[in-house]
Amino acid sequence: MTTTTRPTVSRRISNALKQNRGRAAIIAALAFIFLSGLFTMDTGDWVITVLRGLAVGAITFLVASGLSLIFGLMDVLNLAHGELFMLGAYVGWTVYVRPDTFMDMALPVALALAVAFCAPFLAPIAGRLSLSVGASRVVGVVLGVIGFLGAVWAFRRFPLSIWDLEQFDKTPTSDSIALQQGVQTVPEPAAWTGSAVVAIVVLILGVLAIVAGFAVVRYRTRVPEPTNARNLIPIAAAVGAVVVLLAFGDPMTDWLYSISTTYRFFLALVVALAGGFALGALIEIALIRPLYDRPIYQLMMTLGLGFIVIELVREVWGRPEFSMPKPALFAGTGDGCPGEGLGGLFSGCSTVKFLDTRVRMYNEVFIITVGVIVLVIITLLIKRTRIGMIIRAGVQDREMVEALGVNVRRVFTMVFALGVGLAAFGGVIAGPALGLSPEMGSRVLLLALIAMAVGGLTSFPGAAAGAVLVGLLQQFVIKAGSTGIPLPWSDQPFQPSPSLVPVSVILLMIVVLLVVPEGLYGREE
Amino acid sequence: MALLSLSEVNTFIDQYHILEGVDLAVGEGEIVALLGRNGAGKTTTLKTILGLTPAASGTIEFRGQSLTNRRPYEIAAGGIGYVPEHRAIFRDLTVEENLRIAEREKGDYAKRKDMILSLFPDLARLIELPGTKLSGGQQQMLAVGRALVPDNDLLLIDEPSEGLAPILIQQMMEAIKELSSDTTVLLVEQNFIVASRLASTYVIIEEGKSVHAGAMADLVDDDETIMRFLGAA
Repeated sequence: MTTTTRPTVSRRISNALKQNRGRAAIIAALAFIFLSGLFTMDTGDWVITVLRGLAVGAITFLVASGLSLIFGLMDVLNLAHGELFMLGAYVGWTVYVRPDTFMDMALPVALALAVAFCAPFLAPIAGRLSLSVGASRVVGVVLGVIGFLGAVWAFRRFPLSIWDLEQFDKTPTSDSIALQQGVQTVPEPAAWTGSAVVAIVVLILGVLAIVAGFAVVRYRTRVPEPTNARNLIPIAAAVGAVVVLLAFGDPMTDWLYSISTTYRFFLALVVALAGGFALGALIEIALIRPLYDRPIYQLMMTLGLGFIVIELVREVWGRPEFSMPKPALFAGTGDGCPGEGLGGLFSGCSTVKFLDTRVRMYNEVFIITVGVIVLVIITLLIKRTRIGMIIRAGVQDREMVEALGVNVRRVFTMVFALGVGLAAFGGVIAGPALGLSPEMGSRVLLLALIAMAVGGLTSFPGAAAGAVLVGLLQQFVIKAGSTGIPLPWSDQPFQPSPSLVPVSVILLMIVVLLVVPEGLYGREE
Repeated sequence: MALLSLSEVNTFIDQYHILEGVDLAVGEGEIVALLGRNGAGKTTTLKTILGLTPAASGTIEFRGQSLTNRRPYEIAAGGIGYVPEHRAIFRDLTVEENLRIAEREKGDYAKRKDMILSLFPDLARLIELPGTKLSGGQQQMLAVGRALVPDNDLLLIDEPSEGLAPILIQQMMEAIKELSSDTTVLLVEQNFIVASRLASTYVIIEEGKSVHAGAMADLVDDDETIMRFLGAA
């Protein structure tokens, strides 16, 4: 019997260091930068800077994780990811600040979904039409355009209580302020414009036409995936939602206004996650899937999609940037506030005194906690579940996974949906801390792309590590702008100007890619 | 009736016409060797059967059902296992995960684990290791073992002996012989000695066309055909 000789721990560490010299050097340099802050600034300043860095890292991670999963598995760089993050923030804001509008919108959306879920049953019919290429395209586009116009017309006839961008007291901004001051009143419910029956029928027919147009183009020759009874489940769920909303819409709206903002905030998170998931699935099926053979078109498509989302948000919510009040759980003030030390974390105060500094419960503690929880959940998903196994295998060799009998395309749809869901969720998380603006997406996308490049593009732990490094570096440079970095050869401390903040992050990426071209967690090809 | 039959199959990869009319039939329980020079289209034939490089024309039937216009995962799920060349195992997955991922129904792995590990005893002690740590021979064994996890009726095996040491080739041959007792095999093999010992019938592919087929016993004595199409005796 032979026993394998195990290398000693110190030998193994020195081997690992030798193989990863570049990585070790970068980690050591960054650790030096971050730790040297301890000697040039107050402990309190240092603690708050680290916490802020981790919080920025957490938000960046929520975007970068989806980007890297999608890029790793499907080779799709989703440039609309930042904008979907932003859209999530706006949708979450609506659920949180104007639940009446959200409930009003839910009815037509559920109705449209119920019809759209019938698509698997339309596909076989479309296949049997046996149209020529040209004819199917014409029919598809005509059906799509007519259906879209009809659906939009009908949508506006539904009773939607919306804000008036021209009047300040009815704008999103004033709603936010009213909620924050606790003076929010329940707006008057809106009424149907014209006949309710006509609106509902036209919406159903419109969506049906869009789906039919899509099916005609898509399933001209291809054998559609077999339909089975499971396809009825989403239809039944959506129809059920429509019935519930028609019957109990108004009492549910009143109830949403009566509950604590904490619960409403968590509802907003759930809606953003689920809505992002559904939207992501839709984008993958309708827009990304036809372009898998043409990566450049795909890139252009996601870029364009991002612009569309920005303009859509400007049109619906208006131009002004507005805020999102913090949920009650993290907004406590008055007696006994701010809380002290670790026990203060549970005092319900908005801020806690901790290691010579005031830490904000929401901006620092909550966001970092959420980031860690998501990291753990996704890591478990990838390491422990069958779909995670398929993702890890698919990153290396999609064809082989498919040849084993796995419907890789469905896994693609789910991963894309998960990524978009996480981004939208991240948008709501970021809302109360950063405020809302149509530009918030492109800023976080830049950080996320850099985090991805630093971590090694397709590596999920790499995206997490990259996000944390980017966040920390950004916050340290911002802090150094006010405290200054003492230079041995000069009396004047060096104070990086605000424009050096984005530069520093890009510099980090350049240095990392020069030293370890495959990224910190990447693998040499 | 043949388990798998191809007739007049044409396949293009991008604009290149790779298969220009392949006919072949694989009977239930047989081992059929697909022979031919490098680049003749042997691997493409396997990929076309699986739908990985879809046929442009011709018919492919498995158990009397047409496979054309079907997605690869549907074809595979119909009971076809694939062992690609170059040991395409998943590096980031452990040996056990590499086997588990091939499950088509829950419990497939548990059901056949013992059979696979008795066929390839080496895998048993490597079961926790990631794919990266495996030697070439071990990877090849894992790739064959993986195709045995689900309930497959037909295995497409591409170059199982390529790059293996002689002793491993021997082991691999014994394994294929053993597994063929209850599975049909379509085997691509450059090594004529290996192919002739395993297969009962053969099909020769030359420049994308199937040009010769028959019983292996006849081919072994037919030096002229071997020289003409395979370039070696």
